[in-house]
Amino acid sequence: MGFFDDKQDWLEIVFKNYPPENRRAAVMPLLRKVQQEEGHVAPERIAEIAEIVGTTPTEVRGVMSFYSYYQAVPTGKYHIQVCATLSCALAGAEELWDTLRAELGIGPGEVTPDGLFSIQKVECLGSCHTAPVIQINDEPYVECVTRARLSALLEGLKAGKPLEEIELPGDCGHHVREEEA
Amino acid sequence: MSEGPIVSGHDPRFERTLYAHVGKPGSHTLDYYLSHGGYEAAKKALTQMTPDEVIEEVKRSGLRGRGGAGFPTGLKWSFMPKDDGQQHYIIMNADESEPGSFKDRYILEDDPHQAIEGMIIAGYAIRATKGYIYIRGEYRRAYDRLIAAIEEAYARGYLGKNLFGSGFDFDLYVHRGAGAYICGEETALMNSLEGLRANPRLKPPFPAQKGLFGKPTTINNVETIASVVHIVARGAEWFASMGYDKSKGMKLYQVSGPAVRPGVYELPMGTTFRELIYDWAGGVKEPIKALIPGGSSTPLLPFNDDTLDTPMDYEHLQQKGTMLGTGGVILIPESACIVDVMWNLVRFYGHESCGKCTPCREGVAGWMTKLLGQIETGRGKPGDVELLEDLMDNIEGKSFCPLADAAVWPVKGALRHFRDEFIHHLEHKTCRVEKKGRWR
Repeated sequence: MGFFDDKQDWLEIVFKNYPPENRRAAVMPLLRKVQQEEGHVAPERIAEIAEIVGTTPTEVRGVMSFYSYYQAVPTGKYHIQVCATLSCALAGAEELWDTLRAELGIGPGEVTPDGLFSIQKVECLGSCHTAPVIQINDEPYVECVTRARLSALLEGLKAGKPLEEIELPGDCGHHVREEEA
Repeated sequence: MSEGPIVSGHDPRFERTLYAHVGKPGSHTLDYYLSHGGYEAAKKALTQMTPDEVIEEVKRSGLRGRGGAGFPTGLKWSFMPKDDGQQHYIIMNADESEPGSFKDRYILEDDPHQAIEGMIIAGYAIRATKGYIYIRGEYRRAYDRLIAAIEEAYARGYLGKNLFGSGFDFDLYVHRGAGAYICGEETALMNSLEGLRANPRLKPPFPAQKGLFGKPTTINNVETIASVVHIVARGAEWFASMGYDKSKGMKLYQVSGPAVRPGVYELPMGTTFRELIYDWAGGVKEPIKALIPGGSSTPLLPFNDDTLDTPMDYEHLQQKGTMLGTGGVILIPESACIVDVMWNLVRFYGHESCGKCTPCREGVAGWMTKLLGQIETGRGKPGDVELLEDLMDNIEGKSFCPLADAAVWPVKGALRHFRDEFIHHLEHKTCRVEKKGRWR
């Protein structure tokens, strides 16, 4: 059975976002949907997307490989993306990355044996004031990731807690929303 | 303080507009927005002004693109054809990806209706009945808030058919990116939106002639579009009362690196670095040796009194050999190695190179990255700095799109002000500054 067979209503909504003669424009939202639900985009999904939007699998693969979000190999339940660009680097992103690798015992492209974690270094996430920053799956950022915060985060995830329920210690100390300061 | 242009956040005449509601409880909802004068500007534009009058007002305000390039917005809008019978598109570039920039995100998260209202006005001005917001894929909360806001706006008649009884129809769609810096380049963005690889397109034809889906298109940054709301509401003279010369209006400045309160600060154009860093961002947490003035592609400046007293606007920064860019200031501490900092940035641009043209693919992603890595890790040879400079002269201005220039400019800036650090690396095979752990 195809991934999108039971998602016809969803597809219809997506295609409404683009002119009817430009079905190909939907390739990114379709890739995202597969990535979100299956943790990677397998070759048979690429073929399925190609058929739905009316292009070739090679074209879809070309789009897919252009972006950092879509993964060709399976990822863990929690795919941790570590921002490594300047402001995060100045806040210790490299040490954070090394710690994460050591703690989880995996490198990029690998998954922990329990299937929980995979890791990826990514470029600027656009949250330079709350550096260092990580993103788990497609969720809102985890900001100001200190050693204490990373430990609490990994512990919580290992204990099966949903991301938004994990309490992170310490204050972020940044200043965007004036009234909160 | 009450004479002359407004160029300080301390000026009693200055009032925050773009970020007036950021951080307020419920500010992302339509009810909140309407109770704070929301959609009044769109109503005014659609019912009391012609599209050309809107363009004229924006031209008179002096607004220039806030995404980094600083092109006059009204002029850009006037390039769109009139009465050509084709579908026109307005696109909001919310692919905020320039390292050091994070201002657009909070407009979308906390005040999405401001973005929608701006899109209605911009669409009306350029005769576009359809608009797209291209939002970077990682901005999840902003995406959720935006989708919810658009649904609310449709439900209450602020999007869709015959807005404000004016006869103007406007539909708004959201397209999510998936992690590629180059999508901030307007023609790459259009390719991405069409489901193609996001390689930049050859210009001409320019987007106003042949843009998204081959139709006349205008692309503006989030902050630019949001500024239009206030220009229409308060008038071009109000906007032009802030800032010097050809740098008018309010600006969202950002501070990251070791500041006491890094963040986003809305201030009048022409505010000095000193005021931003010390009065608003609370000062610095450790000794600073340089600052990047406007996002990673802008050449850095040494951290001294001359720099600190420079007004942050297009002209003053150009005089200093750098640019306003996105207004994203990054502080570089004394304890960081400039070569390492440049290697980090060039790796970023190398990673984000689309690979289409040789100067960028081979020059930035290949040679520049390797050379800087070699110098930083103590494997540099005499003449490497000159080789780097020669290489950069062969990249700058010779690539298909400005991404390669964006990689060259910061390194040129670093060599202008911190050449000794590069030379020290070559002579001593190590950094002059002792590397220390930075992670807390």
